Amino acid sequence: MLYRIERLLLDLACCAVIALGALITASVLLRVTLNSGIPDTIVMVRELMVVAIVLPLAAATTARAHIVVEFVSNRLPMRAQGMLVIFGGMFGLLALSPLLYAGWNETVHMITSGSYYFGQLNLPKWPGRVLFLIGMSFCWLRLLLLVIGDIRTLRAGGIPALSETTSSTFVEDEKDRA
Amino acid sequence: QTTLILGEAGPNRGARAVATQAFADDVTARTNGDLVIDIQWGGALFKADAALQGVSDGVADLGTIIGVYFPQEMIAYGIADLPLLNADAWVGMRATDELMRTDPIIAANLADQDLVYLGTFTTSAVNIGCKGAAIRTAEDVSGLKVRGVGAYGDVFRDLGANMVAMSIYDAYQGMDTGLLDCSQGYSYAVAALKQQEVMTSYTLMNWGQVGALGIFMNKYAYDALTPEQQTAMNDAGVGMADTLGELITADNDAAVQTMKDAGVEVIELDAAERDKLVERGAPYIDAWVEQATAAGLDGAGMLDSYRALLAKYTEERDAQGYPWTR
Amino acid sequence: MDGTLIGLCAFAAVIGLLALRVPIAFALAGIGTIGTFVIFATRTGAFTPDRAVRPTTSLVFSNSFDLIHSYDLSMIPLFIALGHIAYRADITTRIYDAARVWLAKVPGGVAMASVVGCGGFSAITGSSIACASTMGRICAPEMLRMGYDKGLATASVAAGGTLGSLIPPSVLFIIYGIFTETSISSLFLAGVLPGLLSLAGFLLAIYIWVKSKPSAAPAYQGEITMQDKLNAAIGAWPAVALFGLIVGGIYGGFFTATEAAAICVAAACVIGFAQRKLTWRDLWESLRETCIQTSSIFLIAAAAKIFVAFIALTGVASDIVASVSDAQLSPVLLLAAIAVIYLILGMFLDPIGIMVLTLPLMVPLVESYGFNLIWFGVVVVKLLEIGLITPPVGLNVFVISNVVGKAVPIDKIFAGIWRFLAIDVVVLILLMSFPIISLLIPNSL
Ligand code: NA
Ligand code: NA
Repeated sequence: MLYRIERLLLDLACCAVIALGALITASVLLRVTLNSGIPDTIVMVRELMVVAIVLPLAAATTARAHIVVEFVSNRLPMRAQGMLVIFGGMFGLLALSPLLYAGWNETVHMITSGSYYFGQLNLPKWPGRVLFLIGMSFCWLRLLLLVIGDIRTLRAGGIPALSETTSSTFVEDEKDRA
Repeated sequence: QTTLILGEAGPNRGARAVATQAFADDVTARTNGDLVIDIQWGGALFKADAALQGVSDGVADLGTIIGVYFPQEMIAYGIADLPLLNADAWVGMRATDELMRTDPIIAANLADQDLVYLGTFTTSAVNIGCKGAAIRTAEDVSGLKVRGVGAYGDVFRDLGANMVAMSIYDAYQGMDTGLLDCSQGYSYAVAALKQQEVMTSYTLMNWGQVGALGIFMNKYAYDALTPEQQTAMNDAGVGMADTLGELITADNDAAVQTMKDAGVEVIELDAAERDKLVERGAPYIDAWVEQATAAGLDGAGMLDSYRALLAKYTEERDAQGYPWTR
Repeated sequence: MDGTLIGLCAFAAVIGLLALRVPIAFALAGIGTIGTFVIFATRTGAFTPDRAVRPTTSLVFSNSFDLIHSYDLSMIPLFIALGHIAYRADITTRIYDAARVWLAKVPGGVAMASVVGCGGFSAITGSSIACASTMGRICAPEMLRMGYDKGLATASVAAGGTLGSLIPPSVLFIIYGIFTETSISSLFLAGVLPGLLSLAGFLLAIYIWVKSKPSAAPAYQGEITMQDKLNAAIGAWPAVALFGLIVGGIYGGFFTATEAAAICVAAACVIGFAQRKLTWRDLWESLRETCIQTSSIFLIAAAAKIFVAFIALTGVASDIVASVSDAQLSPVLLLAAIAVIYLILGMFLDPIGIMVLTLPLMVPLVESYGFNLIWFGVVVVKLLEIGLITPPVGLNVFVISNVVGKAVPIDKIFAGIWRFLAIDVVVLILLMSFPIISLLIPNSL
């Protein structure tokens, strides 16, 4: 279930990248050809950036795409490395909690205050905050499940995955070409 | 001794930075060294579009808030950004300062957001510089690619300009490559950003200014001060308008000379043409009154008071000259 | 507790957590948040944690949200997407075929071509990260496929990416210009020769590497006819067209550098679909990879921004600058001290954060020694660029690591970086000793 939500969030982020690319391209083309433009392009692009960057965080967590420095831990036995993976995940839960709490406060504040961006359309400020909160929440939840899963693996005598490929298709291509 | 933190999104250069530093020094002097203000420049603590929350939540005790980023929260302050006939930096600042300082409804509105008003700045008179074009009449902007800000930009659009969204820092390259025909700006900023190197004309519009930027304080931090310290802060805040007024007036005059020396044609917009611009700005003033009223403020009343204050300080300037020339 | 002490403890804690394999973003955000909380809780002298919650959460949120909520940075996901799309549309492979065929006899030719490509790309974008991510996506996988040493294939583009801010346009020069009230156009001009010098330095580093260890860059075996060369060159036209579109569009006044990213993605899609090399499925997969990469890079950058705000609160950066100022060093020692400060800060913080923290105090100090501010700007930007490839926090290295995934561990990239760092130090000493390298072009115009 969570996996499907993550895919959905990732796909929404892809749509956001397309949308911001299309928005900027359209405003350039309108300017060059018709000497006109699209109102509040900058505000819309900034809101879309939140979608493009925060919504995929859960999927990035699943892919264990968060970058780590390994040259010290590499010298440890595998079991110790597995413990460090769990420690890193737990520290991540701690580090992201204030963001989650702050995101909630900020979202509530923006919705109740009716805050908006100066511009032709006076677009509201809350949508970007809500999307930030959604993306962060699923990232936190996914991290929690990973940590729990890793602890189980370690207890059962296994070693948690240190990391997976961040760019899976690159590896696929390698196979194709080989 | 108490150290207060002031968050400023801009650099520690230019007239506004000097005025900010002078304010901090003035506070320390007036409190005999009890209050020291540590200024964090360049948005190290929060950027301009997060300044209001930053001060209100106490990330910094004081901070520079720019009204245009918070049209809803800073609706009252937004009066200083309106395209009224208001081109004198010092007159604009003193009128804005008195309105913000004396209107109890504004103070209550700010207190609801855990903010206290301390003092105001201005970017000074809005003018327009162009490359390959020249603005001599209101209609001249029609069909040009223009970088504009706030309601002034809206008026240019209504007059048929094609608005290009771009920061003032990119305007140099924009005009250089032809992406931009004209850029709205302020004289001192033109010189600071060396735009005279690419401009061919600069029109002094004698129209209005963007004045809704100033220093606000976190209400809890303010309430924690002694009454004497609060008075010192407020008096230093009033003084900011005079400090910046002197600096910015001199900087602007020097900048116009720099432009002339660089061969830029400096045009004084005809008063009748300027009045057309003011007239075109009227709908945006009405829109502000409507929004202010909707927010529970006395929009029309505030506008009347503000106009009266502009008249009052214009008169004072005409009678006595600027404070620094008296 | 003393702010400077808290700041120094935080630096140590970050190193400790990174050694314990804590993801970089979590280490920076976590320590930044905890440190901020401690500062706000102890501000009044007594320990008042209840008063620290609101400002801490506000600082943490606004700094991370604002970094993401940016129009200018939309260039980064778009340029990353461009790399992926161009790769799947076979556009990048064919530039590499051309480079391989034409540079077959040059040892390490393709790595050199990558660095030159970085130089060219940096003439379009003002951001080192955008430069590294785009060129990394285009070059590194191709070099790995051709059997290049993993360290060489990745480190060369990570280093090449640092040209992004030295060769104009450059976000860092714009910020420096604003802080020092120096002419941004003069700064841009001043960056040209140092940028080219750095580029030449990187080429030399590759040359030395491959000369000392020829297996690092396997030479192309087999006959190459003139016909092969021509075919390869013609096949590379889409890449040339894209590059021409960007350069022509920006310098012809049709669009800004930020807009160029979007236009280029659109053009790459059009070329890919028209040549039937790109399918909708390819496009979607490219975007998914783009999003995952962008989000993990931005998470680090947002965490670094939180850490910068915390460091600003500690006052540690201004304390360091103040103590250098008090020491009344000779000009040479002052420059050496400045270099050390920027290199140490560069180990942990991002370039813009370092500028914002140090310039307000550094510039008056430098001015009091009578140094030329344009030249000093070039030195600072070069120092900050070096910081992008030094461990433990080297954003360009992370970007490349992100692109190549598990094919090359991050430590392997850092291991390859030292050769480029060594050259960078030489270039830096040249720039510091001979201000004329920076000032020749701006002074002669
Ligand atoms: Na560049
Ligand atoms: Na570094």
